[in-house]
Amino acid sequence: MNPALRHQLRHLDGAILALLDERARLLVQTSAADPLRAAPVDDLLRRHTGPFPADGVTEVFAAIDRHCAAFRAEDAR
Amino acid sequence: MILQLAIGTAEEKVRELHESLEREGLRVLRSRERSRPILAVAGTIPKALKDSLARRTEVETVVQPMGELLLVARAMRERPSVVDVGSVRVGGGTVVVIAGPCSVEGRDHVLAVARQVRAAGAHILRGGAFKPRTSPYQFQGFGVEGLRQLKDAGEATGLPVVSEIMDAADLPAFVEHDIDCLQVGARNMQNFSLLKAIARAGRPVLLKRGLAATVEEWLYAAEYLAEGGCVRIMLCERGIRTYEKATRNTLDLTVLPLMREWTHLPLLVDPAHAAGIARIIPPLSRAAIAAGADGVAVEVHETPAEARSDGPQALLPAELVALVAESRVMAAVTGRALHAPPR
Repeated sequence: MNPALRHQLRHLDGAILALLDERARLLVQTSAADPLRAAPVDDLLRRHTGPFPADGVTEVFAAIDRHCAAFRAEDAR
Repeated sequence: MILQLAIGTAEEKVRELHESLEREGLRVLRSRERSRPILAVAGTIPKALKDSLARRTEVETVVQPMGELLLVARAMRERPSVVDVGSVRVGGGTVVVIAGPCSVEGRDHVLAVARQVRAAGAHILRGGAFKPRTSPYQFQGFGVEGLRQLKDAGEATGLPVVSEIMDAADLPAFVEHDIDCLQVGARNMQNFSLLKAIARAGRPVLLKRGLAATVEEWLYAAEYLAEGGCVRIMLCERGIRTYEKATRNTLDLTVLPLMREWTHLPLLVDPAHAAGIARIIPPLSRAAIAAGADGVAVEVHETPAEARSDGPQALLPAELVALVAESRVMAAVTGRALHAPPR
């Protein structure tokens, strides 16, 4: 793979991971009494204009919600 | 000149070096760094002495900082310093948002704004009680009563507070009302008697850049604070005066990456006073964080048109919510995180 392309992908992956971490941190800071409400995926899909497949968006965010919920539950224990 | 000694250098060796330099008639300042001893030597050092110091086994690195800067120079710390303002830690890889009204306009008003600041996820409440206004006919602030109202609003919402001090004579009021952080405004950046007085107050200081100050002059102002005993100093870029008239001032983000090389102090940016136009504050805040700022300071008001000072640059509460959310994203993509809400 072209080194510049590899560098860009690595950088984007790092940013995605940092954003996921920040999302998890925010959920942990939320009061335990608040219900865990993920941002509705429908709303995201309505605003989504990029080439990433819609099914993939749904799938990725379902996984993010699932993992964040598990992480939050673990943190609360 | 700054001497970074080897990690693990015995205290006896450090003292011996310190005393030998003092015997040469030099003033020696010691860093608060715990991981390694660091000594700063003020004044002109003869070349022969400089050479002999470099040869000493306990001296690992000899650094010549910019001009006569010592205590605030980057080489005086292993890592950039972190300043505690109440329970909020400024610097050290997190990003903070300071927000509040330009002026404290009354007890109910500042409390309402403080609740909005807290709800938005910002970290420190700002509010002016003593206002340095261009015209003597403009609102000058509620003075001591304003400090009381600001602190009460901060306590009610769990937010540490920052307010501008213009006169050393007001320092007892700031201490009595337990103002968590003293702000030195742009107009007073080189008011050296004020800097010397507040350096001894034992409180964090937010030092804004003078509107016509070079970076070097700004850092020397910080050095005055440090030399006077202040160990919690934060710098805040707030725009400089240029020929450009489209904005109130010109936000000088260019210096931020350089400042990282020159000083260990946390760097904040106040895009509101630079821009003077509320709608361009969000992109400037994003740019500030992207350029490495440890946080941004903005103004918020429910009805900016009715604000007693600087209404055109005040964000609406909903705009503050958006700005904090954007700051979180910018912090993450620049390898940092938004600070947790204050305890």
